[in-house]
Order: sequence, then structure tokens, then C-alpha cells
Amino acid sequence: MKDPYEVLGVARTASPEDVQKAYRRLAKKLHPDLNPGNKESEERFKEVSGANDLLSDPDKRRRFDNGEIDASGTERQQQRYYKDYAAEAAAGHPYENRSGYADFVDTDDIFAELLRRQEQQARRAPGPDLHYRLSIEFLDAVNGAAKRLTLPDGGTLDVTIPPGIQEGQILRLRGKGGPSRGEGNAGDAFVELSIAPHRFFSRHGDDIHIELPVTLTEAALGGRIKVPTPTGPVLLTVPKGSNTGSTLRLKGKGVPRRGGHGDEFVKLKVMLPTEPNPELEAFLSNWTPGADYDPRRDMQP
Amino acid sequence: MIITKLEFLDRAQIDRDTLEVWIQEEWLVPSGPTTEPVFSEADLARASLIRDLIHDLGVNAEGVGPILSLLDQLHGLRRVLAEVLQSLRQTTILPAAGASSGQNQDHE
Repeated sequence: MKDPYEVLGVARTASPEDVQKAYRRLAKKLHPDLNPGNKESEERFKEVSGANDLLSDPDKRRRFDNGEIDASGTERQQQRYYKDYAAEAAAGHPYENRSGYADFVDTDDIFAELLRRQEQQARRAPGPDLHYRLSIEFLDAVNGAAKRLTLPDGGTLDVTIPPGIQEGQILRLRGKGGPSRGEGNAGDAFVELSIAPHRFFSRHGDDIHIELPVTLTEAALGGRIKVPTPTGPVLLTVPKGSNTGSTLRLKGKGVPRRGGHGDEFVKLKVMLPTEPNPELEAFLSNWTPGADYDPRRDMQP
Repeated sequence: MIITKLEFLDRAQIDRDTLEVWIQEEWLVPSGPTTEPVFSEADLARASLIRDLIHDLGVNAEGVGPILSLLDQLHGLRRVLAEVLQSLRQTTILPAAGASSGQNQDHE
């Protein structure tokens, strides 16, 4: 790292005003936005602004003079200048002005021809792409839906959500972006979707998972019970002697995917009656499940 | 990608009135309706250029407009030049069937 006094070209005794003057003199010459395309002046400007950051701060300057800090680390973070955006933006940048060569185009040599072609291309350049975010309901993501987005400028955008869409997926709406500044097509709108969680459904890939409370009777004796699925309730046969954690599969009741549907997995959860039940208590006190039945057998140390 | 007015004021370190003036002078052209302008990263970089011009380079308010206008023309020309050079290279390397191909063969 070079000596900041040397970089700015000032004496070690220079007053703050001298430092500022020297910095401004160099900045006028070297500012990257006034020298687009000139790498060397950008590098020098980095040094100069770093030196200025150090010497224009009385505290930092004092510590540097006392040798407490050195000049390293004073280089500014990589800053993006306006010129970088002006250079990378697609044709049709809002600030760009091409009137500066209009007078070249009126002749008919090969350069004029090239310029005319470029001009035409610029006119036909599509408008800018616009990006939006849309939060949708869980079931809309599974089943698909039509949504209307209200745009910041008060307009609206109709978005058709295809069934089976996933978190973070981006929809592209061709021609729904910004208008072209010339005669080109409008840009595209990109809508990033986020999916709100559901009260009882959850989703793993194309499968739907649900935890289904069942009564003791339904679990022990089996039966047909109504289970919610994303497309509406269906009847599920619970086999006799089912337990908490038993998982049943409803084939094809999951998320639509190419060539079919995922499945819905129903995990049973046996629930005792919420109120104390004297009959059940009376029955259980006279009932034993068998001498060698121990649900915690696997947990013995 | 999109920067709201409040975020813009904060990141550009300018106050509301200053921003109003800059927009009025068309130094900055945000998109969106005037009641709720939205800004891009390019707008932000342009704002910091304007700030540098005024604070570091000693340009007064009258001078900023002409400088920006010249810079915009410079960027327009730089892009056109880049495009022209590119199609010139393409034409020279791959002589297209058509009016210009005869000329290219003369050079080779």
C-alpha cells in the first residue's frame, strides 16, 4: 500500500483544506464515471479515495501519523459505479442517449449502413423484464388457480398458476413486462411464487402428508372414515388394530405431476376421549393386554 | 431488484427534498407512478455519481445537468461503437452472402 500523502501529493504537514483540495483535484481527473472504460484511472481513483478516507478523518490521520495504523485496508470496498450499470444494461437503457451519432447515418457508406442497422435493432429491442413476488395459498399451489396481481403502478396482471407448482418457482409471462422504448416487443414479467403453509397438509415433493386424529374405537375396531385431501374429502378404510403412527396411503391423491399424481400419506393419531370417561375407565381397570405386552420393551437399558 | 423510495433515500444518503429536485430536473428517472416511484440499482449508482459531482468534484447545481447529458450521450456512443465493432468483426470474419461480400473478398 502506498503512502497516502504520496498518493494525494501533499506534504505531511498539509492542512485539512489542502488535503481536500488535492483530493478534489485528483477526483475531477480520475472519477471512474468520468472515465468509463479506463481501468487505470479507476485503479488510481481507488487509491486516491482510500488515501482521502484516511487523511480527511482527523482521528485516523493522527493514528496513521503515530504509526498506530498503516495505510492498508484503507482501499475502498469494490464499489459499482454508474458506468458499470450503463455498460451492462440491455439496449434501451432509460438514460442512454444515442442522438450523438445521428449525423453519421445520413451518408451511404458501409459504416452508415452498420449504424442504421444498429439503430433499427435498438428500436426493435424488447422492453425491460419486470420481476414480481406473489404469495399463494397451499391448495392453490397444489390444484392450480388464477390470480390477479395488483402492480405498483395500479395496473393488474393476471397470473395462471399451474397445478403442482413448487415453492420459489418462477413463472414467466411473455410480453407482460415493460413496453419497448421503440417498436420492439414488451419485455417479460417474472413472478416468483411463495407458498403459504397449510393448517394440516404438508408437502414433500409430490406427496401430501397429513396427521389424522382417530378415536380409540376407530383404531381398535377399524372403520371407514372421511379424510381431507387437496381435492376434497375421500373415504379411507382404517384396518382393525391400527395404531398411532400407522401410515396409510391414498394413491394418486397427492400433487399433480407429469403423468399422474403423487400420493397422500395419512398418519394416524389415536385420541382418547377429551372428557374422562367412567365406562372406559371401568373397562380398562378390569382389562389386561397380556402378560408379555410391554410397549417400552425396546427402551430397556 | 426494485428499490422503494424510503430505501432509496436511505441507501443514497439524501433527503426527501433533494430527491424531489433531482427527479424534477430529470437527473433521475424512476419508474412507477409519481406518487410511488420505484428505483433500480442503476438509479442508485447514478445518485451516488450526482452526489460525487456536487460534493467531491465541486460541480454546482447548474453544471450537473449538462454533465449527465454528456455522459448519457457518451454511454450511448460507447454502446453503438461496441455494437458496430461487433458486427464489423462478424462481417469481416464471416463474409455474408450479399452486397458486402464482394468488398470483403477484396481485402483478403
